[in-house]
Amino acid sequence: MMAFVVLAASIAALFGASVAIGDEPIAIAEIARVLLGEGDPVASFIVEEVRLPRAILAVLVGAALGTGGAIAQAVMRNPLAEPGILGINGGAALAALIVIVEIESPPARLLPLAAFAGALITAAAIYALAWNDGTSSLRIILVGLGLNALAGAGVGFISAFGDVTTVQQAQVWLAGSLYRADWETVRVLAVWLVLPVVGVLLAARELDVLTLGADAARALGQRVEPTSAAMILAMALISAAAVAAAGLIGFVGLIAPHLARRIGGRRSRHVLPLAALSGAALVLAADLVGRLALSPANLPAGIVTTLIGAPFFALLLWRRRDAV
Amino acid sequence: MSTLASRRLVLLGLAVALCVSAAWSLTVGTIALPLQTIVAAIIDFDGSREHLIAATVRFPRLLAGLIAGSAFAVAGAIMQAVTNNPLASPGILGINAGAALAIVVALSVVDGGAAGVYVWCAFAGAAAAAIVVYAVGSAGRGGATPLKLALAGAILSAFVGSLTTAILIFDTASLDVVRVWSIGSVEGRSLATIMAIAPYGLVGLAGALLLRGQIATLSLGPEIAAQLGQNLAVWRLAAAAIVVLLAGGAVALTGPIGFVGLFVPHAARLIVGTDYRWIIPASALGGAFVVVFCDALLRAVLPDRDVPVGIAMALIGAPFFIHLARSRTARRPL
Amino acid sequence: MPSDPALSARGASIGYRDRAVIDGLDLNVPRGAFTALIGPNGSGKSTLLRALARLQSLSSGQILLDGRALATIGPREAARRVGILFQGASAPEGMTVSELVQEGRYPHRSLFGRWNRADEAACARALRLTKLEALADRPLDTLSGGQRQRAFVAMVLAQETGILLLDEPTTYLDLPHQLDILELAGALVREEGTTVVAAIHDINQAARYAAHLIVLKDGAVVTAGPPDAIVTPALIEEVFAVKAMVVPSPVDGRPLILPLTRAEREDS
Repeated sequence: MMAFVVLAASIAALFGASVAIGDEPIAIAEIARVLLGEGDPVASFIVEEVRLPRAILAVLVGAALGTGGAIAQAVMRNPLAEPGILGINGGAALAALIVIVEIESPPARLLPLAAFAGALITAAAIYALAWNDGTSSLRIILVGLGLNALAGAGVGFISAFGDVTTVQQAQVWLAGSLYRADWETVRVLAVWLVLPVVGVLLAARELDVLTLGADAARALGQRVEPTSAAMILAMALISAAAVAAAGLIGFVGLIAPHLARRIGGRRSRHVLPLAALSGAALVLAADLVGRLALSPANLPAGIVTTLIGAPFFALLLWRRRDAV
Repeated sequence: MSTLASRRLVLLGLAVALCVSAAWSLTVGTIALPLQTIVAAIIDFDGSREHLIAATVRFPRLLAGLIAGSAFAVAGAIMQAVTNNPLASPGILGINAGAALAIVVALSVVDGGAAGVYVWCAFAGAAAAAIVVYAVGSAGRGGATPLKLALAGAILSAFVGSLTTAILIFDTASLDVVRVWSIGSVEGRSLATIMAIAPYGLVGLAGALLLRGQIATLSLGPEIAAQLGQNLAVWRLAAAAIVVLLAGGAVALTGPIGFVGLFVPHAARLIVGTDYRWIIPASALGGAFVVVFCDALLRAVLPDRDVPVGIAMALIGAPFFIHLARSRTARRPL
Repeated sequence: MPSDPALSARGASIGYRDRAVIDGLDLNVPRGAFTALIGPNGSGKSTLLRALARLQSLSSGQILLDGRALATIGPREAARRVGILFQGASAPEGMTVSELVQEGRYPHRSLFGRWNRADEAACARALRLTKLEALADRPLDTLSGGQRQRAFVAMVLAQETGILLLDEPTTYLDLPHQLDILELAGALVREEGTTVVAAIHDINQAARYAAHLIVLKDGAVVTAGPPDAIVTPALIEEVFAVKAMVVPSPVDGRPLILPLTRAEREDS
């Protein structure tokens, strides 16, 4: 409970900082006035049209990445699993990139659909290629690495052929950036997230049984195949929505569930919401660091999370060196 | 026919295929040049447009493909032998990414330096990456298992890739230079660049061929090699130095062409058997053949679009990696 | 043979690809008794137990649970009536004993049902019976092999099934831990009327603890019945290809087999 409060408080603080800090600093008091509808026009515009959607998008994207990672780690029974490492985010990014580059000014609604299709195809490929003997998690990870490389090659292929300016814009999005945040993106993402997130939270207990392994889950009376398929579907939906909104923000799906387990034990009922909160805090912090570290230049949040996340992953690998 | 004779025949066949595709690659492109023109450009250069294209575009491109293809493939073969790991290759273990980062750093710090400077940066980057990945991936019980090494390589690549992107965001001038290079391309290398880098690659290849017996012994695994009286530390270090020379040099030349180092040695093993005395020369010929042939094919099929050959390699190589991961995990735990 | 078997198989066949592991097998598991499955490696003991617990589907024939076809019973209901301790169970990293045991309540809980007193009581009982109360909050990966095996037994006990299937529950355990598990199974049969079916490697242990033996060879039942009626030198030779002497145990009169050395074989 204590940890929950601390986490919530740090999200609030980061959120506040994210709205207040920038090229044009805005005092907290001024923000309050803006929210009450009494701020001056410039501050109102900056807060309402730029910083607020960006901060909210960061929270939603982080929550989505954290939840997706928690589901992946439970279903794959491997704490090193993550939609990014499995290539699911890469598949989503490739599909979205095709839409961005090949269709002139695509509507915001189309991106999540394409990303979802890409994520689902990758998930299905992992399922088909790696699932024959139950869940050999190392095979799943290796196949995921291969699919990720394939998606990367696809991205390179599209980038090499596409119109240069579109490709350049797409590349900032690909690197995992929140700079394009607007209310439309926020709305689309929120709508996409509601159903799968609520569904997975309600079925958290099924996730716990799945982590025991296919045989044990079956012995306990679970219908293993439909359950894990539904969980993977939800994971693909959630990850795809996050990728469509903010590109590839790596390693949050790995770190957030780890923090959540540190704080709240192993039960998915606790891990899922805590992972969502941790993810939100991480992306808010990464975006803030990216904006401030080399100001006035804007470092995409995805680069910040990777620079922090990759060493973290190496540490995990090191600590699990006898197991993997 | 004895195995020795048949293996020699295989190497001869590879060499012939390489020569044919090299000749073909000189003739295809936006402007098709007949073989006579190519020959004439070599023996009797007349300064005409065709001869200029042959001398300044096609020959350097061919040379870059030959050297880089051989270098990546042989580096992969050595890595697979030394780590006893079927998934090892300079691309997957992050060595290419390390070399690439070092070059990008060098480019943005001292722009306009000579190719001879960049190649040393690439060596340093490749060596650092190799050390980090091996340290992280070989810790713990079971030593350097394929899974641990592959994961360590993947995260190092992600980390280094992010650093590279971060640098490029602030240095648009370098971005322009690096954009196509970073996918792996044999296009637009000047003869001077190639001449500055080629000696390192050739030294690496010569070293690999000279030491192929030691590498074959290393491939039996540390217990057997030690039991046979091999000085493991010395020969592993020598093998690592050759890998750094080959992969670093090749990255400096063409950028990271991934997956050549993975699938060429496996293909070689299928053809000539499990003896690295044969796998290494077969990989050298096969790697050069695959890169030169694919580059020529891309130019022939899509003449108006210059597709980096690195993309084609990844599109062939990644499914192969998946296949390998599947078949290896089916048989025994990695 | 009791007229009302708890579990039975009728013409059950199970094959992996083209090879039949079990072919047209019939058997009855007597209700409320300790049944041991014995037979050499590869005789189909594990496969049979997995089929009885729905972990393995049949290629033909059927399994009857209380006279009803198992295939027509929903997975949760079946899991409330049949529990299995299978080989090679592994728990996720960091999971504690009590967390594992609580998962055993899965088939008893409705989709949104809350954790209730019956769940709590079942887990407490399972921990008590397996003497794991003191270790309840320890992560499984910090326990010894015997303790971990007991934790998985506790999970199955928390499932509160009338039928308990144990696939080689004593393998890899040292003697005291082997006896712990067998004693626990025996006590469940005596005190609660549980039906236990255990695949057991050691014929002497099987004969000692079980009231009913089912002898398997090459995926078929060779014979079944009380140990003292069916364990004979001829059976041991037929099933295990081992020459042995069978004597009544000085403790309880049950059959005790003593394999013969080569010299003794040549003498006889």
